[in-house]
Amino acid sequence: MPLPTRSGPLAGIRVLAFTKVWAGPYAGKYLAHLGAEVIKVESMTNLDEMRAYGGVDINAAPYFLSINQEVLSVQVNMKTPEGLDLIKQMVAQSDVVIDNIRQGAMERSGLDYESLKAIKPDIIQLSLKMWGTEGPLAYQTGYAPCFAALAGLNYLVGHEGEVPRGMNIRYGDSTAGAYAALAIVAALHHRKSTGEGQFIDLSAVEAMTSLIGDSLLAWSVTGEIPQADGNYHAEMCPHGAYPCADGEWLSIAVDAEDEWAALCGEIGLEATPSHATLAGRQADRHAIDAAIAARTSTRDASQLGEALRAAGVPAFRSQSSIDLCSDDLMWSRGGYRMVSDHRTGSRPIIGPPWRMTPDAAQIERGAPLLGEHNDYVYGELLGLPPGDIADLIARKVID
Amino acid sequence: MSALKGLVIIELAERVCGEYCGKLIADFGAEVIKVERPGGSPTRGMGPFKDGLPGPERSTLFAYLNTNKKSVVLDPAVPGDLAKLKALLARADALVDDHADPLFLPDDLSVHFPRLVHCLITPFGQGAPADYQQARSLNVINAGGWAYHSPSETPDDKSPLKGAGRFLSDYEAGIDAALCVLSSLLRQRRSGSGQFIDISEVEVQVNRTDTVLGRMLAGEQEPSKARTAYDMGGPATSFACADGYLYIFMTTKAHWKGLIALMGAPEWVQDFPEDWLEFHCTPDRVAQFRAHFAEWAKDQHKHVVSVEGQKLGVTIVPVNSAADLPGNEQFQHRGFFQSLTHPVLGEALYPTASYKLSATPVQLHSPAPALGQHNGEAN
Repeated sequence: MPLPTRSGPLAGIRVLAFTKVWAGPYAGKYLAHLGAEVIKVESMTNLDEMRAYGGVDINAAPYFLSINQEVLSVQVNMKTPEGLDLIKQMVAQSDVVIDNIRQGAMERSGLDYESLKAIKPDIIQLSLKMWGTEGPLAYQTGYAPCFAALAGLNYLVGHEGEVPRGMNIRYGDSTAGAYAALAIVAALHHRKSTGEGQFIDLSAVEAMTSLIGDSLLAWSVTGEIPQADGNYHAEMCPHGAYPCADGEWLSIAVDAEDEWAALCGEIGLEATPSHATLAGRQADRHAIDAAIAARTSTRDASQLGEALRAAGVPAFRSQSSIDLCSDDLMWSRGGYRMVSDHRTGSRPIIGPPWRMTPDAAQIERGAPLLGEHNDYVYGELLGLPPGDIADLIARKVID
Repeated sequence: MSALKGLVIIELAERVCGEYCGKLIADFGAEVIKVERPGGSPTRGMGPFKDGLPGPERSTLFAYLNTNKKSVVLDPAVPGDLAKLKALLARADALVDDHADPLFLPDDLSVHFPRLVHCLITPFGQGAPADYQQARSLNVINAGGWAYHSPSETPDDKSPLKGAGRFLSDYEAGIDAALCVLSSLLRQRRSGSGQFIDISEVEVQVNRTDTVLGRMLAGEQEPSKARTAYDMGGPATSFACADGYLYIFMTTKAHWKGLIALMGAPEWVQDFPEDWLEFHCTPDRVAQFRAHFAEWAKDQHKHVVSVEGQKLGVTIVPVNSAADLPGNEQFQHRGFFQSLTHPVLGEALYPTASYKLSATPVQLHSPAPALGQHNGEAN
């Protein structure tokens, strides 16, 4: 049974994904949300942990459902020679292969770049690992907060004078996945121009390091090692998040004298002449922060934010998870949207942060059941007769 | 060989998000022509500066964000310049902009330049209330949820944080914008026609939390006002050590046994059940662990303990500073930092890219352009 044709800028691109947990699947999601056909290779013998977290039903696992929309699932037991042969037949029909599985696992299965190239000369293969696929530290393993620590990113995040505790523990995987999707699309251009595929070796640590590129160049030029500096900003003052009523916080970023005057006016802060300049305010910034906090702490964060914005002061509530879930603009703009769900009919998801007109990719199908697209992959793509597929299932090559 | 050879991109962006988008594309080898108004991009006015002295060619921020680009100065208020700008658009493949109040509106561009891929990055995306769109990077990272939840376990009386450096949300938005522009350019190669791409910086922030907030959105976890709503629990955090800070991540019995061996089996570990991380990971026990571990950590050296830990299956890593990175053997092996000489800033180390492309490696071949260095290109 052929699948409905997809639209979107990557329509017609087929991606075979050996991905687990978050970073690799996020890359697959992004490509799928741009219109690519992304086939996730799965097996009962080697499940994506995301199908196990938070429940017992591997087809209704919350983490898995939250990420794999518009992705297809095919089952193959990679521990069998026949399974590996089927995978090679899939590679022959694919444009891109992604993996973020254990170091060396692709090679051990004969799915290294040279082998894939022998099957499909213009294949693009991307491997995503903590430190990349080779080199003196490539043997090391870790999790996203480790990437951010190693990368130099977490060193820059912390309240002033405290141990730099870094970004939230969840930070890192999804960004590495986004970089992976970008590199793949760049390689698709090269293939279009020259007919040549290539191997892309992505380091998740370096992905995090890329996010502080300007700080690193500044260090190289000035010799000053950047530190965790709370909400300090050399060019803006005040610049921070200030406490409001009911435990809420309001972010305020003041860039110019008129904004400072407007802020003082709105919160009833007496304008001190020495604070008229940025340098004057920076010299006194801790006292200014305390004075602002004393005046915002009784105000409603949303209302004060609105009043400040109306007065030309960039301000926005610091949003909690409940604020975000009930964010009207996210819903009305389509930042959240509904996809199909096998159990409940529909499921709200976080949709892509882009809109494209015309010809956006449809995002309608929720995450796949395990092996939901076995018939499509084995029947349509590989051209196996139904009897053969049944036999492969019976012998647990497809499992 | 470069991946995007032959593509021409016009950059009207003047903020970090749009300039980073342009940089990502330029570093893949496209010709990115940055069109600046007289006086130059505002990022030229942002420090740190060489020797602490401001000047349009002295900003390290601008130097980082504009490698491999060309600079053309045009004043759109002058009819002759506007005509030159339109002539540039006529021969370009894509336009990257990041103004809430853009010079060119999407509908006009799609009529006059139907082949052009037009990407417009704004804080909240098209259709958002006008007052929202004045948001700065700090407001974006707060609106998107990461500030509220960073660092993990931040107590209620401590403020949300802006993230690493000043521009974390801009980098994130720049990645997605570049991804969309390059994807749309593949479509342009097939179909000969362009698209309008609307990027919301806040939505990029939110998308990065898909497996966390997404479960709350679907009702599988309760959303709340808790600052800890994104946390995972467990003892993972940073600790001060003899030469800086180290970070430990532990979730399994194997991690725990490895750590005991690494620490030389101190007596206090006997207070902890062997499987405490999996089955008895209470806040009290986490606090008790951290108090003991902090005592041990303060005498340790981050790189030594990291290497020893890896051998024992313990995920313990240094919290590296900028100064730790260029000498790191893996960064060196991969050639992540590249030396590049800028006429004013001199020779310096530039981070390149996290992806090594075997056929078309990212290379920094030219430093950020001087203001108007390529004005001849607009004639």
